[in-house]
Amino acid sequence: MAKNLPKTGIISWLTTVDHKRIGIMYALSSLFFLIIGGIDALLMRTQLMVPNNTVVTGDIFNGLVTMHGTTMIFLVVMPLSAAFFNFLVPLQIGAADVAFPRLNSLSFWIFFFGGCLLNASYLVQQIPAMGWFAYANLSSKQFNPTHSVDFWALGVQVVGLASLIAAINFFVTIINMRCKGMTLLKMPLFIWTTLVTQVLLILSLPVITVALVMLSFDRTFGTGFFNPSQGGQVIMWQHLFWVFGHPEVYILILPAMGIVSEILSTFAKKPLFGYTVMVYSSCAIGFLGFAVWAHHMFTTGLGVWATALFSAATMLIAVPTGVKIFNWISTLWGGKIRFTTASMFAISFVAMFTLGGLSGIMHSSPVIDTQHQDTYFVVAHFHYVLYGGAVMGLFGGIFYWFPKVTGKFMNELMGKAQFWLYMVGFNLTFFPMHFLGLEGMPRRIYTYAPDMNWNFWNFCATMGAYVTAIGGILFFVNFFWSLKFGAKAGNDPWDGRTLEWSIPSPPPEYNFAKLPEVTQLDDWWYKKYTHDGKRLNPPSQPVVDPKTIHLPHQSFWPMVLAFGITMIATGFCVPSSGVFVSLIGLAITMASTYGWAYEEP
Amino acid sequence: MVKNHWCRSVSAKLFREGFGKIMSGSFLSLSSLSLAQETQEQLPAFGDTKWKLFDVSWDAPMNTVTGLTEWSRDINNVYSITTWICVFVFFAVSIPLVYTLYRFRHKAGDQAPPKQFHGNSTLEIIWTVVPVVLLLFIAVPTWRILFKHAQVPPSAMKIEAIGHQWWWEFRYPDNGNVVTANELHVPENTPVHFTVYSEDVIHSFWIPAWGGKKDALPGHKNEITLTSPPLKNANVKGGEMYQGQCVELCGASHALMRFNAVVHSKGEFDSWVKTANSPPTVETASQKAGEEVFARCQACHTIAGTPSEQLPGNKIGPNLSNFGNRKYLGAGTRMNTPENLAQWLKNPAGIKPGNLMPNLGLTDEEIAHVSSYIRQSTTKTY
Amino acid sequence: MSEAAHSHHTTTGIDNRKFAMWVLIASECFLFGTLIANYLINKSRGLVGPKPQEIYDINITTLSTFDLLMSSVAMVLALHYCKEKNLRKFQFWTAMVVLGGAIFLGFQYYEFSTFIHHDGLSLATNIFGSSFYLLTGCHGAHVAVGVLWMSSILVTSLVKGQDWFNSEVVEVAGLYWHFVDVVWILIFTIVYLFVYV
Repeated sequence: MAKNLPKTGIISWLTTVDHKRIGIMYALSSLFFLIIGGIDALLMRTQLMVPNNTVVTGDIFNGLVTMHGTTMIFLVVMPLSAAFFNFLVPLQIGAADVAFPRLNSLSFWIFFFGGCLLNASYLVQQIPAMGWFAYANLSSKQFNPTHSVDFWALGVQVVGLASLIAAINFFVTIINMRCKGMTLLKMPLFIWTTLVTQVLLILSLPVITVALVMLSFDRTFGTGFFNPSQGGQVIMWQHLFWVFGHPEVYILILPAMGIVSEILSTFAKKPLFGYTVMVYSSCAIGFLGFAVWAHHMFTTGLGVWATALFSAATMLIAVPTGVKIFNWISTLWGGKIRFTTASMFAISFVAMFTLGGLSGIMHSSPVIDTQHQDTYFVVAHFHYVLYGGAVMGLFGGIFYWFPKVTGKFMNELMGKAQFWLYMVGFNLTFFPMHFLGLEGMPRRIYTYAPDMNWNFWNFCATMGAYVTAIGGILFFVNFFWSLKFGAKAGNDPWDGRTLEWSIPSPPPEYNFAKLPEVTQLDDWWYKKYTHDGKRLNPPSQPVVDPKTIHLPHQSFWPMVLAFGITMIATGFCVPSSGVFVSLIGLAITMASTYGWAYEEP
Repeated sequence: MVKNHWCRSVSAKLFREGFGKIMSGSFLSLSSLSLAQETQEQLPAFGDTKWKLFDVSWDAPMNTVTGLTEWSRDINNVYSITTWICVFVFFAVSIPLVYTLYRFRHKAGDQAPPKQFHGNSTLEIIWTVVPVVLLLFIAVPTWRILFKHAQVPPSAMKIEAIGHQWWWEFRYPDNGNVVTANELHVPENTPVHFTVYSEDVIHSFWIPAWGGKKDALPGHKNEITLTSPPLKNANVKGGEMYQGQCVELCGASHALMRFNAVVHSKGEFDSWVKTANSPPTVETASQKAGEEVFARCQACHTIAGTPSEQLPGNKIGPNLSNFGNRKYLGAGTRMNTPENLAQWLKNPAGIKPGNLMPNLGLTDEEIAHVSSYIRQSTTKTY
Repeated sequence: MSEAAHSHHTTTGIDNRKFAMWVLIASECFLFGTLIANYLINKSRGLVGPKPQEIYDINITTLSTFDLLMSSVAMVLALHYCKEKNLRKFQFWTAMVVLGGAIFLGFQYYEFSTFIHHDGLSLATNIFGSSFYLLTGCHGAHVAVGVLWMSSILVTSLVKGQDWFNSEVVEVAGLYWHFVDVVWILIFTIVYLFVYV
């Protein structure tokens, strides 16, 4: 069946195994979920705009808290990063595709269906309401009797599976599919941060997998892993969750760090300053990321020695992170910096991430954290890191690579307007949260009394959120406007340094007519310029007949298999007849696995 | 507790109490347009006052940087060291960044690429080593304070703080097994060793003005020692009040799980202990009728010295001994007035969604009776 | 799953599928590590009986461990004869792997049903039992996947005969099978033998 599938139209997208198309689908899905997560945020901010507000009830507010966090992390930042991995990894390492194209398609579809399962909780009005880290035993059947938490647990489980498959795929791709001459220390920094991210995923996802299975067993089969009345411990969940959850933070930020490194060096027209140190610091951040999980638990009664050790490890992470920040500034130093939307987002990443990092250092001291924990100070901190950091970096990436993906520029005027709306809105929302935290406002409260002195800053924060929302709308306008009317971009519109700029925009299905060979870091740059800055004529891509290039065939099986897997999970979220749903899902899974295995590749 | 005027607060406290406070204080004060001179006694509770946008000032009831107790001062010290270091780093990053952006901006028509250089080992070693040194300045005081406050003074008074969805129970094993709900009473300047745990989901016990918090876990007892602050006004009657709140998401009414910590002079505290569990007086006909109505409440609620104490079983509602003395009802949800109590009894879930108290369908008359009974339970004898 | 892996020009020279299996195994190490840690934490936290030492039957488990070890030996031989292109022996030893795995699953079925019906330890009886079933059940599921995989290889080989000596696929399956065995050795030691120390 695989041989004669169409190359255009809806079927071609459903069956595609082309890493570029899969990347685009990842991007579009995550932007769609961004809208959902953004609406969650706006509803929360509207509720908190004034004290004693009654826009939503406590239960719904807790649902919004949970879904906003879960959506933004698992359905926006992670898949948007995955969109960049997909589109860029083969291009930047000079490969025809990823190591396992059909597995790649499978990852996308599992992610997509998993995200839908998670959000299906809205449709049946059983919104998980226990916070995105789902602390036991609030997540138990006793305290959340509907299927809400099941949607969350199974949704995250399924999405996690997608990430695991993708992580293995990209790890193998990066290690094993590099073009001739691209040794590890000649890979672009984005590839390095991607690689470290995949390692973190591969090693941390199994932990949350087990934790989620335990949670589902507790809820579905009455086991007592997290139930004190059956001998279980609620604190077990926190350990398991954060053993995954802290590496997860670096999973969210490292890809953005890589993107920013690429953008800054392109727009400064200079190589990344201290490339090797940047590589080592990325590895160090990834490694230390596994040793600091308990800093999320300083107030749970860990004991003073454990607290001291985890705080020391946490402080250590500041060192490689600080090195990165100074190296980025030095990358700009001596350059000729062009201020495009992409580079402005990347520069704002450096600034905002620094602020988030600094409040992070404050929390690394358990003495200070004992006051800040679970207040708005923490909310301010992680939004500076994940929003001012990761999301800003990812937006920079969108503006930077949009011409490569579509062959058209995004509109710079709208882009810059969006940037400034974001900067103003973001800081207006989250900087006051530091003050709210210092004034003792607990996070995740759906309402507050008027006499707490929290009114003014909450009002500011809400106004900031609205400003950001306007920026967000502008982004989507720009996005679709540019798809249709955007100015035509050439192969190498930014005078780039990495291999993806050596091929046409948008790239042909086969990527490189002839797989490239590189001799140094930023090889493409030195094909355009000599070491003393004289312009060269870069070699153009040889003309080939696309029919002679072997490409993996399109396939329906990944989508069907992903559907089957999601259906197994759905069984846990359905009252009474769930086991049949799961069994049908299992049958589909088995059948499509065999269909896949015996399909001609 | 009179709120400071902004200029006074900025000038007087600028270098005295650490940058963290300054950061919140000065910003807050600068933006304050109206500063009502309100005293603590008039502190309104939930839903009792009109909302004022610009009523921002420096003395937030849950201010985390008060410096009222030794622990709070110690935290402030570490915090101010850290904040100054962070401010230094912020400028060490932002000044070079802004300067670089300005100096090395691309000028129109300039086509030649800049010099391609790849790094500078000396610089990179500098910005690896300097942060390590700076971190030591944070780490050492952190650990010192951490270990210092891990010790429990032998003289510490014992109190159990128990979290429930969504109210706090306080038990006084050292003081004749007094039990209260949502109102913690302690003598001034006394170390108190809290045993913190929960009867249902995880909560977190926190009185920001005194110092750090501790999670209340089900199935595991945590400990934290807090020292109550000295009285600001030694002659104050009825104690000085500090606000606390649950800070771990615990369900639908998490936001409405507040409590008050009342600091008394030592003498006043002793008389509070004596009267805390004294049974209500039943004198008027209404109180008598109220006593009968209360028989319907005692499956969940206890009042010391009444038959409700003898009833077996797990009392899932707050202990109502001495209820008339409490400032708030529903865990800081409303002021404890007859009107609010009547509203509560008519529809508990309307005031606090999801709470376990059923609507008993009391008539207005019954409500008036039971209100006069439980609100009368004791008079303020201290 | 042979995809782009058909081109043998990988950077490291290692086949992509084999490499991917190693990476998966790294991930699985953390999976079983978490499950084993969870078991160790919870094995004596059960509020009601039965306790581990009351129900484990070391003789039966030793037997099933031996059976699984032997299936690993069969796996080595199957791969060996696949590389040698000796169809009969390859098929025979592959069948032995499947048989060994199936017998192991039979043992596990017997053990579980004894625990449930004879000793009264079902999934939710106590937290020791829950952790035990979660750990050994997860391992059992891995064995089951391996059995399915190896039978698919066997069936493919029976259908395609001499044309199909895909030693790469057999090698990847073998990696998986050996890993699952090694995990069982750990479980056998930590879960069953440590009861006696």
